[in-house]
Amino acid sequence: MARLDRCLNIYDLRAAARRRLPKGVFEFVDRATEDHLAVSNNRAAFERIKLRHRALVDVSKRSVATTLFGKPASLPMAIAPTGAAGLCWHEGELELAKAAAKAKIPLTLSTASMTSMEKIAKAAGPGVGGRLWFQLYVWKQRELSHQLIERANRNGFEALIVTVDSPVSPNREYNTHNGFGLPFNPTVRFTFDMMRHPAWVTGVLMKYFTSIGFPRHENYPEEYRKSVLSGVGARDAMRADSLAWDDIAKFRDIWPGILMLKGVNRPDDAVKALGYGVDGIVVSNHGGRNMDSAAASLDVLPEIAEAVGDRATVILDSGVRRGSDIVKALALGAKAVLTGRSTLYGTAVGGEAGALKAINILKNEADKTMAYTGCRSVDEITTDIFFGARDGNRLRDRVMDSV
Amino acid sequence: MTALDRCLNVYDLRAAAKRRLPKGVFEFVDRGSEDGIAVANNRNAFERIKLRHRALVDVSGRSMATTLFGKPVSMPMAIAPTGAAGLCWHEGELELAKAAAKAKIPFTLATGAMTSMEKIAQEAGPGVGGRLWFQLYVWNRREFSYQLIERANRAGFEALIVTVDTIVPPNREYNTHNGFLLPFTPNMRFTLDIMRHPVWFTNVLMKYFTTIGMPRNENYPDEYRRMSRNDPTTAEMTRQDSLSWEDIRIFRDKWPGILMIKGINRPDDAVKAMEYGVDGIVVSNHGGRNMDSVVASIDVLPDIAEAVGDRGTVILDSGVRRGSDIAKALALGAKAVLTGRATLYGTAVGGEAGAFKAISLIRNELDKTMAYTGCRSVDEVTADIFFGGRQGNRLRDMVMDTV
Repeated sequence: MARLDRCLNIYDLRAAARRRLPKGVFEFVDRATEDHLAVSNNRAAFERIKLRHRALVDVSKRSVATTLFGKPASLPMAIAPTGAAGLCWHEGELELAKAAAKAKIPLTLSTASMTSMEKIAKAAGPGVGGRLWFQLYVWKQRELSHQLIERANRNGFEALIVTVDSPVSPNREYNTHNGFGLPFNPTVRFTFDMMRHPAWVTGVLMKYFTSIGFPRHENYPEEYRKSVLSGVGARDAMRADSLAWDDIAKFRDIWPGILMLKGVNRPDDAVKALGYGVDGIVVSNHGGRNMDSAAASLDVLPEIAEAVGDRATVILDSGVRRGSDIVKALALGAKAVLTGRSTLYGTAVGGEAGALKAINILKNEADKTMAYTGCRSVDEITTDIFFGARDGNRLRDRVMDSV
Repeated sequence: MTALDRCLNVYDLRAAAKRRLPKGVFEFVDRGSEDGIAVANNRNAFERIKLRHRALVDVSGRSMATTLFGKPVSMPMAIAPTGAAGLCWHEGELELAKAAAKAKIPFTLATGAMTSMEKIAQEAGPGVGGRLWFQLYVWNRREFSYQLIERANRAGFEALIVTVDTIVPPNREYNTHNGFLLPFTPNMRFTLDIMRHPVWFTNVLMKYFTTIGMPRNENYPDEYRRMSRNDPTTAEMTRQDSLSWEDIRIFRDKWPGILMIKGINRPDDAVKAMEYGVDGIVVSNHGGRNMDSVVASIDVLPDIAEAVGDRGTVILDSGVRRGSDIAKALALGAKAVLTGRATLYGTAVGGEAGAFKAISLIRNELDKTMAYTGCRSVDEVTADIFFGGRQGNRLRDMVMDTV
């Protein structure tokens, strides 16, 4: 029985990934920022929501399929942009992209990925039935960002996601404690860490060394790609704290495809985004990785979804680990969710097969949740499935208040 | 890499301080009173408050600078009075005061300090750009207190903070268990504790022994210092339970500078303080060190801030460990916060450099919180940054009440 076969849920994949990866890499993926209040609160927000069984609906023909921006997706889910897939597996982004194409859900490539967008487009793009989205961190030198999205457009990426929740770099103290940083910066501590994980060194790092050398941010402009090892020169160029609405106007001008903003947490910002011609909003707190005091994405979702209405596509990101989470997000107004860590854990355990396994686990769980709640299609997933204490029953109020 | 370099947040400093200090000293600084409920609740109250990312505000020109009592500070923070800095580091108050002057924030010297106010004034006072506040415990023998504030005035202290939440000594049972008593009383348990910390013994205690002898409360009146500790009139003299509003009237008469009351927990008390001509109030539960059943300071802050309005400066104390805590306090109506333990941990690890590090860490965290929430100046830090479960969204109410 392969290691992957023994993984029956995302938490199993996480545990397997933890054994496989150097601590520095695993914690970079798994942990968040400061005191980890946001990341645990994201989970708590999902787990707090209770559903009710619906009796006696024939759900034998149910389907989790939907459409996203007018095109079919087998599941209301897409792969979130993440920077470390290429450290979880050799060319991990490519593996993840292939799995997404096979599962018929969109993949988002991150600005910081270690596989070039050309390679992704060729192996997992529209030619093989894949849908590709490109995530953009906007740099101080705007023309570099503009060049990047032009490149993404040439390569057949159908959507651009501009991340707007990262004006400053977060305090991820564990990375420093682990001697692990992106860009890579050799430290004794991380060297020892790697030496304890020879399978990873052989299967991931050595494969880079024997092909392209040190893994690089392949989508950075040429002049920064060289400095990836130290990253010192790039620091100032990558400052993002001047990003403003004018930039969105500019992106809307030069980007012909679907435009999304990722990291929207307020209804007023969401409504403003509509005014700038944005097609989609990703409600996200960056997986709890940026501001540790951030409210759970799921908690802020309903009012944003109501404010947006049907004027744009609202997608939820941050905290999805079970298929039931997808159902809850849909009931609260999302059209789909993004998964970051969940599918990365899978990638770390088994490359493409592991990523596909993670997707299938979530799909299976979403399917069962729909069956239990009596939903035959994603359109039937509404707040009707919720159990809410405020629904008002005299007897229940008596016992629920005694908690 | 020094011990200090490895500290990336206040909790790291705390852990390093714990290793460095005798248990008796560390717990005197770190713990609260009785069951430790108040001190834990102070933290919970901060961590419960959730914020929202604000998208696409150009925050590249942001600043934390503000004014306190009409004079500039580099950030909305000052150092709280603490009695044990001189046991965390040799002449710890002086180290802490120098760090505050360098960071351009005010420093409060405690009545119970082990460094004389004249020495503090000379090395970290207005002459070198420092702002000094003096904290007063009012004793039964009022003339001692009057002498003390006259001395503080002569030494150039710009503000007087009268502590009003310590009318009886709290039950800090751990001090007795640890054999740690202030003033020092020799006992076997604490002697063994010291012997397990030879670095502290050499660098702190021996330095006192070889200069001034046993560390003393250098700001107590000579007459008091000559009295025997066993003399029952000594205990009688330091009783504080007769302190009343009439005393505040007298202090207002005698003290020409800024007058603050520390330990206000009720709006009616705050309003009354205004009537007595007080310039500022410090909303504080003494870091949870006095009444263990006390409500969190951050929870009582908004009522008090609203009651005071712009008639006085409201400062929050108790529980600040992260820069995000400052943003939350400001949004709830405080003009600034005081830090006690946070900067003491730093002092214990590295004297002036350690204290400065603690200030810098908190400063950096506040800066990032402002950037994430889209605040370009401290005036923009308002309740608008909060995510409130009670803001009323039909869908959210349904699920958030299912706990």
